[in-house]
Amino acid sequence: MSSLSEEDRANLVAFLDGELDEGTARALEARLNLDPSARAKAETLRKTWELLDYLPRPEPSTSFTNRTLEKLAVRHTTGPHLAIARGRLPRWIVALGWAAALVVAGASGLGAAHLLWSGEETPPPEAAEVEEILVRYPRVVENERLFEEIDNLDFLRSLGDPKLFGEDETGS
Amino acid sequence: MAVIGETSSQLALRDPDIRLMLRVRDDDPVAFAELVELYQHRLITVMHHLVGNKEEAEDLAQEAFLRVYRVRKKYRPRAKFSTWLFTIANNLALNTLRRRQRKPAVRLNVRDSGPLGPRPAEQLVRDRASQPGAHLQEKELAAVIQQALHGLNERQRMAVVLNKFEDMNYAEIAEVMELSTKAVKSLLSRARENLRLVLKSYVYMDSEPIPDSGDLDDE
Repeated sequence: MSSLSEEDRANLVAFLDGELDEGTARALEARLNLDPSARAKAETLRKTWELLDYLPRPEPSTSFTNRTLEKLAVRHTTGPHLAIARGRLPRWIVALGWAAALVVAGASGLGAAHLLWSGEETPPPEAAEVEEILVRYPRVVENERLFEEIDNLDFLRSLGDPKLFGEDETGS
Repeated sequence: MAVIGETSSQLALRDPDIRLMLRVRDDDPVAFAELVELYQHRLITVMHHLVGNKEEAEDLAQEAFLRVYRVRKKYRPRAKFSTWLFTIANNLALNTLRRRQRKPAVRLNVRDSGPLGPRPAEQLVRDRASQPGAHLQEKELAAVIQQALHGLNERQRMAVVLNKFEDMNYAEIAEVMELSTKAVKSLLSRARENLRLVLKSYVYMDSEPIPDSGDLDDE
């Protein structure tokens, strides 16, 4: 068989991708059955394509969502106070609110935590509540940098779970 | 909620991501965050394969999301949401790559040094005489393949990445890249032929016999 034309090569790739119409696909398949070199080329093309599976698929940074949302907050407000005033809280501030609740739980036992977290359906704190917590618990504000990276409230909640992060048992 | 046409509503029924974007359009406060969570991995993966750098990939992905948000009021579903999103991503990525070509500022990463640092595609082809060992580490192989991918021009690379990693068919790629389906077919054919030439030695490194390839015309 003569060498493959540019159109043949394009059809070969399209055939491998399942993009040929039925008639063209059948004609090409018949040709491949008769031509070992065309068959070899198809096989090499297919295996080269499979090599791309070795390329890494990087995980997004854990802070990606928060950073993106923060950029929106910066673009649409003049500062965090305005964001709070509008009732649209950057996620890190919401996370701070929950972190503040954790501080309360740590100080006053799980009972207080239960009051604050009455279940999965508990909505995030209102802006005024957050501001009050931030004023009452300056340690939370001091550690704002740490809380900025949290973008998962379930993780934050789990910090208050004594089974996971409770006091070490004697002898362990 | 804003009134949308019949075709748009049919699309919205079929595509949950369109419904999500319509919530973004209507300023639903959590919808945009959901969108970012849903698409960040795919978008960053595509950008990473295009620009070769994770930091830059995240910056570009972030910019794509911000553009989506900025134009949200003008959003009208005419295709799958992912097609629209990747059209924005495509324009961003190509602009970045073209700017890079005009002002080649080489950012030296630690990974770029050493025996598997960037080498011209021709060097990779010449080296195929020395068959790589079957125990070539996966990471090293990934570096070689990444190099081969970056040896393609930006449009070939984009078509390959969308086809391979986003599983887009030719028609979808054509829509994202604003080309005809025929042009996409031609792009992919040339791209895959280039990859075949550069990576030939690595395809059969697991010691399978190389099939009779008398007509494999090397360009």
